[in-house]
Amino acid sequence: MALRIPCPHCGLREYTEFTFGGELRDLESPDPEQDFVRVYLRENDAGPQRERWFHTFGCRRWLTLTRDTVTNEVTP
Amino acid sequence: MSPTFEFEGRQIPIEPGDTIASALHRAGVRTFNRSIKHHRRRGLYCVTGDCPNCSLNVDGEPGVRSCVTPAVEGVRVKRETGFPSAERDLLSATDRAHPLMPVGFYSKMFIKPSFAWPVAEKVISRATGVGRLPEHRVPRRKPARHLHCDLLVVGGGVAGLSAAIAAAQGGERVILCDEGAPGEKLPPGPTLERVRALADELRAMPGAQVFERHTAVGIYEGPLVPVVGEEALLRIHPERVIVATGAVEAHSVFRGNDVPGVFLGRGAARLAGRHRVLPGMRAVVAASTPEGLEHLETLRSAGVEIAVVAIPDDMADRVPSGVPVVRGGRVAAVEGGKTVRAATVTSPTGTERFECDTVVLSLELTPRDALLRMGYGLPVSGAGDSVWPGCTLDEAAESGRLAAAGTPVEPRAAEGIAVARHGYVCLCEDVSIGDLEQAWDEGWRSSEILKRYTTATMGPCQGAMCSRILASFVTAKAGPGPAGTRTTARPPARTHRLEDLAAGIHEVIDKRTALHDRHIEMGARMDWSGSWKRPFHYGDAAEEYRAVRERVSVMDVGTLGKFLVAGRDATTLLDRVFPCRVEGLEPGRSRYLVALDEAGYVMDDGMICALEGSRYYLTSTSGGADRMEMWLRNWTDRWDLHVHVVNQTTMLGAINVAGPRARDLLSALSDDAIDRETLPHMTHAEITVAGVPCRAIRVGFVGELSYELHHPRSRSVELWDALLTTGVAFDIRPHGLDALEILRMEKGHFYLGQDTLPDDHPAKLGLGWAVAMDKPTFVGKVALERMADIPIERRFIGLMFEGAAPTRGVPLYDGDHIVGRVTSCGWSGALSRAIGLGWMRAPDGVFATDLRAGETRATVTTPPFYDPEGARLRA
Repeated sequence: MALRIPCPHCGLREYTEFTFGGELRDLESPDPEQDFVRVYLRENDAGPQRERWFHTFGCRRWLTLTRDTVTNEVTP
Repeated sequence: MSPTFEFEGRQIPIEPGDTIASALHRAGVRTFNRSIKHHRRRGLYCVTGDCPNCSLNVDGEPGVRSCVTPAVEGVRVKRETGFPSAERDLLSATDRAHPLMPVGFYSKMFIKPSFAWPVAEKVISRATGVGRLPEHRVPRRKPARHLHCDLLVVGGGVAGLSAAIAAAQGGERVILCDEGAPGEKLPPGPTLERVRALADELRAMPGAQVFERHTAVGIYEGPLVPVVGEEALLRIHPERVIVATGAVEAHSVFRGNDVPGVFLGRGAARLAGRHRVLPGMRAVVAASTPEGLEHLETLRSAGVEIAVVAIPDDMADRVPSGVPVVRGGRVAAVEGGKTVRAATVTSPTGTERFECDTVVLSLELTPRDALLRMGYGLPVSGAGDSVWPGCTLDEAAESGRLAAAGTPVEPRAAEGIAVARHGYVCLCEDVSIGDLEQAWDEGWRSSEILKRYTTATMGPCQGAMCSRILASFVTAKAGPGPAGTRTTARPPARTHRLEDLAAGIHEVIDKRTALHDRHIEMGARMDWSGSWKRPFHYGDAAEEYRAVRERVSVMDVGTLGKFLVAGRDATTLLDRVFPCRVEGLEPGRSRYLVALDEAGYVMDDGMICALEGSRYYLTSTSGGADRMEMWLRNWTDRWDLHVHVVNQTTMLGAINVAGPRARDLLSALSDDAIDRETLPHMTHAEITVAGVPCRAIRVGFVGELSYELHHPRSRSVELWDALLTTGVAFDIRPHGLDALEILRMEKGHFYLGQDTLPDDHPAKLGLGWAVAMDKPTFVGKVALERMADIPIERRFIGLMFEGAAPTRGVPLYDGDHIVGRVTSCGWSGALSRAIGLGWMRAPDGVFATDLRAGETRATVTTPPFYDPEGARLRA
């Protein structure tokens, strides 16, 4: 369950250097009802999900990766 | 005269090498404790730090394992269970009243009538428990250190050392920790020599670190293994962990198995061999391991009379001649109260009773595997006795090498333990076989469920002594299967002080502006403001307030978030992120900035200053700086824009020069044009003040003529000194956060998070003017559109109080109904009355105007209170 994150700028780093940014979500949704779903509801999958991470104690860039929420296996 | 320590008013002599327990035992103390529920006498048992029996209060600290704590001259030791004392415990009546206190007692009793529970709870909590927290004790502040390695080995025996050496030879960075020191528990002999040689070899290896007297707390996801040491808490982040914590002699269950005088073999041998104190005068020994025969020898040579040895038939010939033996015998019951009086030994040939004062049990080994039982799913493997209990030294070394090589060391299933009909299974939690039987009959039929119902295996040892017995009990009833698996262990695997686990929490690093030392020199009271240390006042906040309103003042606002946003798409980014209009903002102009999240709620606020060449300078609140940077970078990334976001928060200092004489002061220090026409409110310019290049921003949180001077941090002190020196002519003085609090309150400016709620959208805060709804898009726009039709039933309000200000945070009443809350309040010098900010609700859309804040009458107003036209601000 070790969690290391492959940062494209800094290499493989301990997850404690990062800030979790949540599930990757759609950028926008013009329909107000759909936008409500986009803003408030999460998939919360047990399995691979696309996520955002911010390398707070590193390059201070955002990255998107796929993490299996069950095993912590990370793929870019 | 030998040194002594105090034990309940007696002086106990200390011999060299004594632990507290060995010295007490020598002095005749047999009852060390009373058991947690039934107040049965408990005496020394394992003498290896595994069982709960020897816990004592040492110098006010409860729960000290006296058997592994060196006796130090002058300490004060006492027992703390039992009423009035452990020696004469009236509550031991609960033992005879066992049927009245059944298992699941808490779940069953006092459910009805419910009013009885609060009383009963007090009585029960007095009667149970294993110690009392000291009332006055300043916790030691220990630091926490993070260490990284490839392999962490817990346990410095043959297996652990062999594993560490093998891994270090393979080039891995290895850390080995041991709760004691390698070999220190071993008697002189070949095993000790082997351990010492291995330990020396490991210490000499590059890339290997050995931590003695460092106890692993548990294994967490990561893996992360916190390790408690005397000086620091180590947070070790290994790639993988090998647990080689050895084994403990099996606890066994029979009637009277907890009477003081019943010892595990290693415990009795340790007392007799190492501490030269006889566990008793006459012992019944039950041995079924080679180690048991060594213990027998140790006891005999120390002078203990051996009443009988109960031993398997095939080992009987190895008992020295002259020692009485019962072939195939086992201890079936022990009689005794204060101490053991006799033991009954049964064998295929019959049952015999032996008078004795000591019973020594050396029957088999049970893995000391709490760490393994909490590391499921993590890269953790076992080695040595903790997976192969009773293995030889060569096997231990082999298992260590296998584990180091990454080959799984399959546990050798310890055989089930024959479960008797009487006796205590779990010493920590005082659970007997009878309790398990009863719980089984009530329908709780797996080890994990029985654990929860009876609390067996839940105590400080986390089942090190008893989890095999519990599993065997279930397997004997239900047959082999998942019901009878061993219970999961939880951290901590050993007993720790909370102060050790809390190590490092005080290590908070404060952020300081470049002027920090200046503030202290000027007598400022510095305190936390978010993650910064900031001046609250310089001795007289009222005078600081007057300086701002009547003359001129300076404030260190270097904590503000400060950002340079540049690049081809900078305007696009800001226009799409923020609700204000950025396109068309001319260089030199500024605009109030409110940042919304995607739900349309106010996240932060600040200023946006347009620079030449489509570059922008942004400020945010002090607490919102990090979030603002993440926010800007997130959208830059997701929209794939060409923008540079440079966080200049700590590169730049900022000093706010405010007050009616602010321009006069700056004019004395600058040749640049800063007059009202050239540099009006909501503009900014690059100017030089006292030789320091500054970006002067005309903005006013305090509601007076003011210039925020943003400048290189390295020039802060120089600028500050020049302002204060030249300012003497204007009777200048700096102001801190206390004065600022009332200054901004008079202007009706909210503090985000203090005066606002997480779901305040701009209109609720009266900030509708800061949102350009006609822009094609911005973050939060769709949400604002969706909420546009929802009537606003909660508003940000101003309050005027009659008399003194109430306590901040008090509710606002309309008649008997709470309709809101006071979020800021204080005495306004300008209005000569107490004022405040807050929010109130009006579900029916009618906002009342006369309210009550606690006992204080409050009138609702619309802020600001001071200079509502902003004439002074625009001066």
